[in-house]
Amino acid sequence: MSAPASVIWQKNPALAWREIDDETIIISPNDSVMHELNDTGSFLWKNIDGRKSAAELAELLVENYEVTPDIALSDTEALLQEMCSRKLVVTVRATGGVSP
Amino acid sequence: MSAPLANSGRGPRQQFELSIGCVPLRLEMSDAHLFDAATARYAAFTGAGARPVTIALNAGAVPEGPPSDFDYEFEGAALHVFSGGIRFDGVRHQYALDSLLRVLLTWKLLGHCGFLLHAATVIRNGKAYLFTGRSGAGKSTVASLSPEGSVLTDEISLLRRENGVWRAYGTPFWGEFRAAGSNISSPVAGIFRLQQAAENQVTALRPVAILRALLPNVLFFSAEAEPNRRLLEILSQAATEISGYNLAFRENCAFWEVLPA
Repeated sequence: MSAPASVIWQKNPALAWREIDDETIIISPNDSVMHELNDTGSFLWKNIDGRKSAAELAELLVENYEVTPDIALSDTEALLQEMCSRKLVVTVRATGGVSP
Repeated sequence: MSAPLANSGRGPRQQFELSIGCVPLRLEMSDAHLFDAATARYAAFTGAGARPVTIALNAGAVPEGPPSDFDYEFEGAALHVFSGGIRFDGVRHQYALDSLLRVLLTWKLLGHCGFLLHAATVIRNGKAYLFTGRSGAGKSTVASLSPEGSVLTDEISLLRRENGVWRAYGTPFWGEFRAAGSNISSPVAGIFRLQQAAENQVTALRPVAILRALLPNVLFFSAEAEPNRRLLEILSQAATEISGYNLAFRENCAFWEVLPA
């Protein structure tokens, strides 16, 4: 089940990552798994800061890429869900805590 | 070089100093057999630079104090890094000592902009050529096809960035060749990802592809985020500054002809 578009997201603080050649390489030290994000994914990753929702991230995508708001939100939510399933991002409660 | 130390109650403790990749270390132990084996094993690397960090082997109970910065266990042997020194406990044979030394080096090299890589290193015209890949990729084959005396290692290479230049160091960590190694270094010419093929061919890689080639072959043992961030920073710098290639090669020495000078 996908999270509401208003939910706030942040990067999993246990990860290491680096942007190189417009791509982002993410390392999960606990299981030594490497993940990669393309240009658009890297853009979203950079803007996942513990203060923005999927809807706000999608707005940034519309401002910087040639994409309609509907598709931007749909793609953003899909990417966040995918990253969430890989434990790359976590949601933030309204109180500021990280949701398990 | 050895010097008896004060008796800890379990026999006289002896020590010798060594340097691997310019990381100065001092091993201290009371097991005479292990001491003899270690001094012979690391003979080419004896003698440390200024302020070697002391590694106390099998030194008894860990004293009370601040928590360790890094711990690692391997088949009953354990490594503990404290701010005031390092302990190797449960070391019963040379193999365990060798393994813990590798683990320790991966940790210490973070502070020297360096890392260990599963790679053979061959010196040619004063430059170091690194051939990386998992077991079976052909590292030992490349080493066996290279002139005698030109191979720094056939298994684990050590890279460090010094004064803006990446250098490859000899290590005592070898695979099939089982050589003692040489404590020398050379500037890096390039990193080559091995792919056995019917024809010799070299293809230049973008930095992100070099980083992809490095990551599965880097030795690292910490699961903590911060050391991994530092490692990734070092590897990204290496991927940006060192030329990297895919090397499709046949198992003959003609592959040297396709390598960039």
